[in-house]
Amino acid sequence: MASVSTETFDERALEALPEGARSTAPQRRQALELFRSMPVPSQETEEWRYTDLSEFELDFEPFADGGTAEDLNRHGLLAAAAISGERAGLQIQRNGTVLSTQRSGALDDRNAWFGSIDEALETRRELVEPHLHTLVPADRTKFTALHAAFRTGGTFLHVPRDMAMQLPIQTLTYLDADGAAIFPHTLIVVEPGSDVTFIDRYASPDLERAFSNAIVEIFVGEGAQVRYASIQEWGNGVTHLGIQRATVGRDATFRSLNIGFGASLARAEAETVLAEPGGFSEMLGVFFADGEQHFDHRSIQDHVAPNCTSDLLYKGALRDHSRAVYSGWVHVRPDAQKTNAMQTSRNIVLSEHAKADAIPNLEIEANDVRCGHAASVGPVDEDAIFYLTSRGIPRDEAERLIVSGFFQEVLDRVKIEEVREGAEQAIQDELERSG
Amino acid sequence: MAISQEEHLKELSKGYRFDWKDEARPVFEPKRGLSEQVVEEISSLKSEPDWMRKRRVKALKHFEARPMPWWGADLSGIDFDNIYYFIRSTEKQATTWEDLPDDIRGTWDKLGIPEAEKKYLGGVSAQYESEVVYHKIKGELESMGVLFTDMDSAVRDYPDLVKEYFGTLIPPNDNKFAALNTAVWSGGSFIYVPPGVHVEIPLQAYFRINAENMGQFERTLIIADEGSYVHYVEGCSAPIYTSDSLHSAVVEIKAMKGARVRYTTIQNWSTNVYNLVTKRAAAYEDAVMEWVDGNIGSKVTMKYPSIYLLGRGARGEVLSVAFAGKGMHTDAGGKAIHAAPYTTSVINSKSVSKDGGRTGYRGLVRVEPDAHHAKSTVRCDALILDEESRSDTYPYIEVEDETAALGHEATVSKVGDDQLFYLMSRGLSEAEATAMIVNGFIEPITRELPMEYAVELNRLIELQMEGSVG
Repeated sequence: MASVSTETFDERALEALPEGARSTAPQRRQALELFRSMPVPSQETEEWRYTDLSEFELDFEPFADGGTAEDLNRHGLLAAAAISGERAGLQIQRNGTVLSTQRSGALDDRNAWFGSIDEALETRRELVEPHLHTLVPADRTKFTALHAAFRTGGTFLHVPRDMAMQLPIQTLTYLDADGAAIFPHTLIVVEPGSDVTFIDRYASPDLERAFSNAIVEIFVGEGAQVRYASIQEWGNGVTHLGIQRATVGRDATFRSLNIGFGASLARAEAETVLAEPGGFSEMLGVFFADGEQHFDHRSIQDHVAPNCTSDLLYKGALRDHSRAVYSGWVHVRPDAQKTNAMQTSRNIVLSEHAKADAIPNLEIEANDVRCGHAASVGPVDEDAIFYLTSRGIPRDEAERLIVSGFFQEVLDRVKIEEVREGAEQAIQDELERSG
Repeated sequence: MAISQEEHLKELSKGYRFDWKDEARPVFEPKRGLSEQVVEEISSLKSEPDWMRKRRVKALKHFEARPMPWWGADLSGIDFDNIYYFIRSTEKQATTWEDLPDDIRGTWDKLGIPEAEKKYLGGVSAQYESEVVYHKIKGELESMGVLFTDMDSAVRDYPDLVKEYFGTLIPPNDNKFAALNTAVWSGGSFIYVPPGVHVEIPLQAYFRINAENMGQFERTLIIADEGSYVHYVEGCSAPIYTSDSLHSAVVEIKAMKGARVRYTTIQNWSTNVYNLVTKRAAAYEDAVMEWVDGNIGSKVTMKYPSIYLLGRGARGEVLSVAFAGKGMHTDAGGKAIHAAPYTTSVINSKSVSKDGGRTGYRGLVRVEPDAHHAKSTVRCDALILDEESRSDTYPYIEVEDETAALGHEATVSKVGDDQLFYLMSRGLSEAEATAMIVNGFIEPITRELPMEYAVELNRLIELQMEGSVG
């Protein structure tokens, strides 16, 4: 196996992190030790079978300064945030630095807290510490250890009990430092009975080479309703390793959406733990791969408690020489009776050299359950093409119609209207580019 | 756990009706454990040609070098040093049942093999421990040029055919247990069906383990020449002991252009047998390969019959039924590798787990880059009958061609309360009703079996269900 050069991620680089990292210096040093001691995930393991990182050089700049709030307008960041509606809160991070946090009255008046993790660790450590890196611990992989050591900026949202937020809260993480690594971290804690919509957007121009190592941790309290959307639009050249993990409380509802269009290599893991009875989890995924893109989507629906429902639907299209892998796990633990779990992966292959793999797994240890999965990989249906072309619609137009229809099944379920419209537009753009 | 050996045996044998033991009278003193010397000895006892001896020794090296599989079932209980790798129980093969020693003949009578042979089989091969003790093929099949013999005789009598095909689909270093089989193989069937010949009645092999800690390593090779047809059926059983036995077979099948081969297994090992089998078939142009794989017994089964679709228009089908009761882990499934255009495959799996048993479907459908217009459907259904039991599904779909259309579907559920209520309100007991529902659940598979086997499978399921509920 090729050795990975780790020179840039050392004690000196830790020392050089900005002010905000100081308060967690001991934990960071520990994480760096972990990072050093852990192996690069090998393709020999089931988890990394389809993504080869043995040649991935970890010689990135550990911290790239994003500047100050003045840089906001200079780089067209607000446009990149692609906001078409009102927000309860908006935080913009450029490279390793949070440039601006805007909080509307809804966030200020009622003791909800929204801002960077670094700031939260200064001012309300007691809220952050019991949650940070508990769902995705530093010692999960070599890369999560690296994240724990070099995380800067980041987003923390804490919503107290029984608070219904009418408007979405959004972040934009913008990367334009070639050769840099960034470690975006979103930590969302929603107390019982509250209602929140949250959008994470990741964007960058095309770069030579950059590394995004992202973690999202979400705590959904008893009876709470949380809608979460992640929109990944990194440019070419970016390697993205993202882990998103949520735990769902009693009778709570968690709806997540993962949209992936960007990056050269993107590995996106989405996991939901149904920890208490009566929980509901919806996991939707939309991706469109082209060029030489490599997508590795993984999901876990972990039913720990009885009487929970989870429903996963991932749909993707592949073009050119792209490759996409979907592998998912439904775990039903021995106590999780009356589980209802569904897992569906659909892939449409649009050109000769694109490759798609699907591995939907079930591990069921309780008997009174309804579990199912379905996966398919195939071209655009020739019968449908024939039908449309026989009505006088040109072939490429017919293909575009069928592919948009294919995605519509997922998009119709997206509750955040502007996110749905944005995704529809992005799919149209992708399709027109191929035209 | 303070249970006596006797109680343990009683528990194990509940409902298993193949639990009798013949007093062992091997014709030479068997030894436990594996070494190059053991391998050489097996080869020399069989007076094998040098190429086979060399191949065995080389395979032993592969076996020793390979790690145990890290995935699948727990195999840590296998004690390779405690196993008998070769036991010869008769001096020579019989062609009439009367020629067999009384106790061995008694076993076959109890299994009903001689009677079945009379009624509906074209040929029978009966393997006891390491070797085939009885072998017979109907005269008319012989006169059509059909070869059906045990593998040891085939090495002697048809060296050219064996040398050409042996180990070509499953090379010695394919996996740890294929390597083990290649090193110590003994017995199994060799079948050659000439071009255009249709063997209308099934050929059967039955494998019986009698000794404790026995290792049975039969080796089967089937060549169906162009346009021919053959249906091969195998069954197996063993007495119940407190320590474990190992069954590790290798089966290779070639279905030439336009040929059709159906291979049916009713595996009913006792619950102290590790059943780790490699089965692979190649299907050429317009050929049809069908695996009908029923796994009802054993302590651990790991078996994924596979089909390499190598010729245009080839078709493959795997029908898999798995059952796991107390202390059992049945990890079964199927693989279809599409390596030619217009190939199709269907994999259907039904599994039932109860009393803490664990069933798994593990499968692969792969479409190679030039296998355009390949089509595949996989469907897995699992029934879990109680709270302690478990079911897993691990399907792999790998597609490298954009015209391929693949689908996979699976469901896991319990026996429906309303179904039970309906049947019980008609006067059935809960156990009868459950057995009826389970039989209905696996019916899509049993209807593919020859009648006698379908009845047998249903009966086995009923026995397994007995005393299970309430």
